[in-house]
Amino acid sequence: MKLKGKLLLILSLLIVSALMLVGCGSKESKQAADQVTVDIFQFKVEAKDALESAVAEYMKENPNVKINVQTVGGGDDYGAALKSKFASGQEPAIMNMGGMQDVKDWIEKLEDLSDQPWVDKAFNGTLEAVTADGKIYGMPFAQEGYGFIYNKSIFEKAGIDADSIKSFDALQAAVKKLDAKKDELGLKAVISFPAKETWVTGLHLSNAAFANEFSDVVEAFNAKTIDFKYADAFKKLIDLQANYGYKPDGTKGSLNAVDYSTQVEELFALEQVAITQQGNWAYGSIAGIDEEVAKNIGFLPIPVVGAKEDSIPVGIPMYWAVNNGKDESVKDAAKDFLNWLYTSEKGKQMIIHDFKFIPPFKGYEGENLEPTDPLARDILKYSNQDRTMPWVFMGYPTGWGMDKLGADIQSYLAGDLSWNQLVENAKTTWAESRK
Amino acid sequence: MNKGNKVILRIIGILTGLLFLSPFYIVVINAFKTKKELFMDTLGLPNSFSFDNFVEAWKRLDFLSVFFNSLIITVGSIVFIIIFSSMAAWMLQRTKSKLSNLIFFGYIAAMLIPFQAVMLPLVRVMGNLNLLNIPGLMFMYVGFGSSLSIFLYHGFVKGIPTALDEAATIDGCNSWQTFWHIIFPILKPITITVAILNTVWIWNDFLLPSLVINRPGTRTIPLATFFFFGEYTKQWHLALAGLGLAIIPVIIFYFFAQKHIIESVTAGSVK
Amino acid sequence: MKRSKLAFWGFVGPSLFAFSLVVIIPLLVGIYYSFTDWNGIRSQVNFVGLTNYLDIFKDEGFVQAFIFTTKFTIASVISINIMGFSLALLVTRKLKISNALRTIFFMPNLIGGLILGFIWQFIFTKGFATLGELTGQRWLLGWLSNQETGFWGMVILMAWQMSGYLMVIYVAAIQNIPKELVEAAQIDGANAWERTKHIIFPLVRPAFTVSLFLTLSNSFKLYDQNLSLTGGGPANSTQMIAMNIYNTAFKFNEMGVAQAKAVVFFLVIGVITISQVYITKKSEVEM
Repeated sequence: MKLKGKLLLILSLLIVSALMLVGCGSKESKQAADQVTVDIFQFKVEAKDALESAVAEYMKENPNVKINVQTVGGGDDYGAALKSKFASGQEPAIMNMGGMQDVKDWIEKLEDLSDQPWVDKAFNGTLEAVTADGKIYGMPFAQEGYGFIYNKSIFEKAGIDADSIKSFDALQAAVKKLDAKKDELGLKAVISFPAKETWVTGLHLSNAAFANEFSDVVEAFNAKTIDFKYADAFKKLIDLQANYGYKPDGTKGSLNAVDYSTQVEELFALEQVAITQQGNWAYGSIAGIDEEVAKNIGFLPIPVVGAKEDSIPVGIPMYWAVNNGKDESVKDAAKDFLNWLYTSEKGKQMIIHDFKFIPPFKGYEGENLEPTDPLARDILKYSNQDRTMPWVFMGYPTGWGMDKLGADIQSYLAGDLSWNQLVENAKTTWAESRK
Repeated sequence: MNKGNKVILRIIGILTGLLFLSPFYIVVINAFKTKKELFMDTLGLPNSFSFDNFVEAWKRLDFLSVFFNSLIITVGSIVFIIIFSSMAAWMLQRTKSKLSNLIFFGYIAAMLIPFQAVMLPLVRVMGNLNLLNIPGLMFMYVGFGSSLSIFLYHGFVKGIPTALDEAATIDGCNSWQTFWHIIFPILKPITITVAILNTVWIWNDFLLPSLVINRPGTRTIPLATFFFFGEYTKQWHLALAGLGLAIIPVIIFYFFAQKHIIESVTAGSVK
Repeated sequence: MKRSKLAFWGFVGPSLFAFSLVVIIPLLVGIYYSFTDWNGIRSQVNFVGLTNYLDIFKDEGFVQAFIFTTKFTIASVISINIMGFSLALLVTRKLKISNALRTIFFMPNLIGGLILGFIWQFIFTKGFATLGELTGQRWLLGWLSNQETGFWGMVILMAWQMSGYLMVIYVAAIQNIPKELVEAAQIDGANAWERTKHIIFPLVRPAFTVSLFLTLSNSFKLYDQNLSLTGGGPANSTQMIAMNIYNTAFKFNEMGVAQAKAVVFFLVIGVITISQVYITKKSEVEM
């Protein structure tokens, strides 16, 4: 038939052109020898302005280097955007990597950074997640930590000594005391518990349990199965927050509608609750609402009954990585910039005062290099007292923590799933994804 | 229609109108609030109507420059979509062949493809053609927009008697002249509809431009607005003020385009 | 009437060229990936045959998303079309406020889907809660915290947004109805309902086909509003197909499986919607 012939012709033309267009791989535009261009592709909107001014400073000192910063706005997914960058051939020279799974997925694009001067300055346990075959592929972005953030003035008014809370029982007693004085203190509830944010429940909270089951992120990453040894302790933490948490319609199921902004910016920052589980990043959110409240906050530990009861999880949320497909000169400039940013005197100042990071490297001892916000200072305090546990959630199977465990926690709160079933599900889904 | 009916209709109209406007109430009043006020009382009126948020949003967005980018991209894409889609739709409707039907069905079927499914191959193809820039983006909009536009034009062309084409041919017009002198003017109401529907899509599109032109200097309004949404903190008061700035031009455009449709129809040029 | 091939390609060519490059070729590449184990990053791609397609049917999440999407589509197609058509009837009655109303009804479309979802999140979680506390209506509390309210939340959002969009299409069709026809019916003593039923309905049939198709495909493909309103939660119970595919591709890095899902999804809706177009087209009135 005539039509068939025509169709076949069109189709084959399309396929040939498709193969041609896809097949020729990525192109690198050649730069003039003396001018080097480094593209940074990063995900943290909060750090955008600080990074841009740091780049401007660096370019002043190194006129032959031009650095472009591209930030992915919120609502978009960094992983997807980065993949598109590579697919389109406009590969950045510096990008962010999330940890072990990312390094495994991206390894063929990553530059070995083992010989960099900052490697010796890194804190113990911060580089394992980005080490493969003895090579280091990522540079720590910042330290972060989380725990139960509490409002100091409310605790004072209620007559509770926060420093004495070093066990689950002590925490529960404090919560009950606050609950009894709720009206007097002007609280809607004692705790705000954002079950909608599965990263808070499925990743961060569950980490407290698994950080005591696994010694570090590498062990978690390689584990084929889990025992869920501290499932009971984990249940206690969830139940405490659910029982004394702010529930929009009074039922536990409605906790699933509480999101980060309600949890932190509304309930906590407006002093309608006294305790909430979040990390030092919440400082900016709270200060954006009420500077005075933000000055008067600190961390309580996340107590895991039967294991560590006085510690908070501290870890590295993100790493910088360098694209190994770039020209040597570009890669050198990229490495030099990163090293400059975290180890030069000027860079250190910016890391503390502009980026407001908790530095992931040693050598920030100077007086004016103290973190400025109370949450960051508290994290350093916990670190110095050796009251920390690692972030192992970054070694969970991809998507497991949020989409499997976090989703099951929502079902549990809504009453659709029993706790035993949740634990069983967690074990099977973990084992399945690690088959 | 008698008077009583008209009054009832008007009341219904006003009530539904208010219902439709109520979400905008939230946008407008919160654009005037400080961040703290916004969380303390989302639904109440602001303490004072100061334009600080708008000034701040204007500055942070670099509004004039992003507005200009959005304008060029939207207008440019729509002009090409209208020209190429109306031409193709007319020809596809008037040509009765299997190939023509097949192409038409191809366009329609393509409306069912979720963008996310072609996203990676698309940027790959466009990257290799060096088309990850504003002209490239307009080209992509022509490709993606042609499905709906051809669909709409096709339906409308069907309503135009073929006698008109034939008369033009007898008068010695070739296809090109027939289309531009006879058919295209008749298509005006649907052309305006196509322009409106594509405008709201392109003006607000986020994902495609974020993959193609997310660089300083070429950003569109939605891309710039999303810098108010961080990993943890969302600057609602600024985002809503920015949103207000961004939709006013489109409301004005739509209002006049609508008027135009009504006029062109009452002028009685159709049939 | 025979037209030359040159004229045919001259008119169809430019649009078809852009369309092929932007839609068809990437689609073919995507179909190719559905037979591979590509993760979206690696340069090495292995051919795995039909494995990805077989895996889909074992994926409970995908099946659940499919069912949820179907339910959502039915509810929203019906509500959006009824509302859109009613609005179009309302604004084509020559009222003084018609022009203002058209603008108002259409305004929701001027806000992009992501931001729209966030705004409605405010309304459902804060606005409804305030109203509920004031009036004592408990069903207004805790919206978006379970599948049911998430579902209706999305239906309401989409009806609010898209009925104005469809109104534009219906308006174009209604205004295209020859005035003499309506006037003649009026003289013959037909009341408003009879005129709507016997003249307007049959004559806007083509617009009905278009609108039904548009709402079907838009509801099936919905992503932005889904992401920003419910994020697929709680417990993934309001996750729609597009989000499931997106997450498979970019969260779980299984590009091959995601592409296979997209192909299956495309085939299923393709069959549904094309048969819909075919059926409704058959009953259109030829002019």
